Amino acid sequence: MKILVVEDDPDLRRQLVTALEARNYTVEQTSDGEEALYLGDEYPYDLAIVDIGLPKVSGIDVIKHWRSEGKEFPIIVLTARGDWQDKVEGLEAGADDYLVKPFHIEELSARLNALLRRAAGHAKPVLEFGPISIDTTGRMVYRNGEAVKLTSYEYRTFEYLVLNAGKTISKTELTEHLYHQDFDRDSNVLEVFVRRLRQKLDPDQDLQPISTVRGLGYRFALNPESSDP
Amino acid sequence: MKIRSPLRSLQGRLLVASTLVLPVVLLLAGFALKNAYSSSLETAVKDRLQLQVYLLLGSVELKEEHIRFPESLHEPRYEKVGSGLYAAIHDKEGSLLWRSLSSTLMDDQQLSQKVDTGFMPAGMPRFKHLTNDGLYQYQLRIIWEQAQQERSMLFTVMESDDQVKRDISAYTDQLALWLSIIFLVALLAQTLILGWGLRPLKRLAKDLKGIEQGQSTSLQGNYPNEVEVVTDNLNGLIESEREQRERYRNTLADLAHSLKTPLAVVRGAANEEHSYADYKALIGEQVERMDQIVQYQLTRAVKSQGKPLGQSIPITPVVERITNALSKVYREKQISAQIDISDNLTFPGDERDLMELLGNILENAFKYGCHRVTFSASATNGRLNIRICDDGPGVEEDQRQVIIKRGERLDNSIQGQGIGLAVSTDIISSYNGQLEITESPLGGCCFLIELPLG
Repeated sequence: MKILVVEDDPDLRRQLVTALEARNYTVEQTSDGEEALYLGDEYPYDLAIVDIGLPKVSGIDVIKHWRSEGKEFPIIVLTARGDWQDKVEGLEAGADDYLVKPFHIEELSARLNALLRRAAGHAKPVLEFGPISIDTTGRMVYRNGEAVKLTSYEYRTFEYLVLNAGKTISKTELTEHLYHQDFDRDSNVLEVFVRRLRQKLDPDQDLQPISTVRGLGYRFALNPESSDP
Repeated sequence: MKIRSPLRSLQGRLLVASTLVLPVVLLLAGFALKNAYSSSLETAVKDRLQLQVYLLLGSVELKEEHIRFPESLHEPRYEKVGSGLYAAIHDKEGSLLWRSLSSTLMDDQQLSQKVDTGFMPAGMPRFKHLTNDGLYQYQLRIIWEQAQQERSMLFTVMESDDQVKRDISAYTDQLALWLSIIFLVALLAQTLILGWGLRPLKRLAKDLKGIEQGQSTSLQGNYPNEVEVVTDNLNGLIESEREQRERYRNTLADLAHSLKTPLAVVRGAANEEHSYADYKALIGEQVERMDQIVQYQLTRAVKSQGKPLGQSIPITPVVERITNALSKVYREKQISAQIDISDNLTFPGDERDLMELLGNILENAFKYGCHRVTFSASATNGRLNIRICDDGPGVEEDQRQVIIKRGERLDNSIQGQGIGLAVSTDIISSYNGQLEITESPLGGCCFLIELPLG
């Protein structure tokens, strides 16, 4: 999952990026609204965290611009003042949630998770697919109730496929959502991750959770068992 | 020294305007008066000349073809050469029959040039001002019956207009003198009236200066009704500004005092033996505490002080904006918000206050409610009643007062609790309103807000 952090305070931005990367997100950052406009227009993000008080172009205007350009990724606004005028303006501009500074990173993480899940059409934090379940809050994957040990990139790859269950995801799309812009797209590292995921999640090869659609990409093929709407 | 344009002062403006307008009005009036006077003079001349014609008619004797007058005419000016009064009688063909002695200086031709001998009906007089010759002319044609023979004769009497001109000139001089005097007096009177009329404004400026210099705290004294509206509002403004300043000062003092405790805890902890985890937890706790203090005090400082001047904010749009925003944030819960507000209901105060007040309570309802939130507002007996209910777990009876009290006197002891409700309670009490928490018919709790409208 690729997240854009737009915050002008360098310390807070650094903290946010560090905390999000520690939670297995791919994070890109900028300090001003103008660059945020460009990045949001050019790259496919899964979520953006935008401070309202930004230099050059205000956070509200950035959000309005993205929404007018048809960008649908979830947006969380950060407000320092925390009054309702700010909150309502942010939400009316097109944000999906707000956080008042200072905030606990756990709180941000929970909101962010909920928004990402919601964007993927799931209401509950734990998604179950037969013997395999994924806890998007704890960022853990279980098989028959037992935790499966995944590396950070394996988890990211798997989560993205699961949140887009049923859809065929091209390698390019996966790469764009999992890695930074300077990632070497020609490498076969994705194939390696997928192979390892298959081995770890389906050692007996009776589930076939990830299918390869030749020439197009990968698809998470299991059906959800939860009572999601 | 800076030269100020006279147009920057009210008095200057009015004086400049009347200095420009008054002469025009006076000139028009002078013109009208002069015209009226000239025309009355001309009427008098006409009457006089008519009388002269009648007198001539009465004196004339017609003997055969000749005209005769008594030895001396009743009017001595006819006898005196160049006296300014002339008379002549012409026959039907325009030939001169008789002329007065006074016209001797004119030869016959000159006379007949002046006298219009053209046809005119008998009995209809003609009065003309021959401006080139400086003469008034009155003519009357009569038909004289003599021995069954009709004779037409044209009587002409002319008078020099010198006297009339002199009269008009003297009149104009007088008129100009008096109009100038009127102009000056009017200007002077206006300056005095304006000075008197605008004196309360000058006093107002002086009083305001006094307030600025700290000599007084409000505008006192008797002001005229028109100015009193302004001074009352200014007094309100000054008072609210003073209260605001007071509140800022108190807030700053409160802030500094209440921040000292957590700072002391943090400083003290540095001198104690703590594991890293404990120390981290302690710092986290104290930061949380300080954050709440700052948030609460900031909101309290920016909040307006009760009723501002004559503001009233429609409630429905504010409630709709907040519920729309909250529905978005709590989208997963799919809460149905039911809004029931009487038509045109307004909140007697600041929009920001209303937003904070309702935002915090509504967010609570969305946060704790399961599926339903209701908002109703109405006005009865001069009081605004707002009711916000949810179907959540509700608030235990012994906790209800705690929640409300916390708002009234939030100290630095609360932890892990949002300050939203505290801010709402604070706003309600600054509007002299009341907040009550009751059980909700939906199952959760209801926040009842009552605010005075008037």
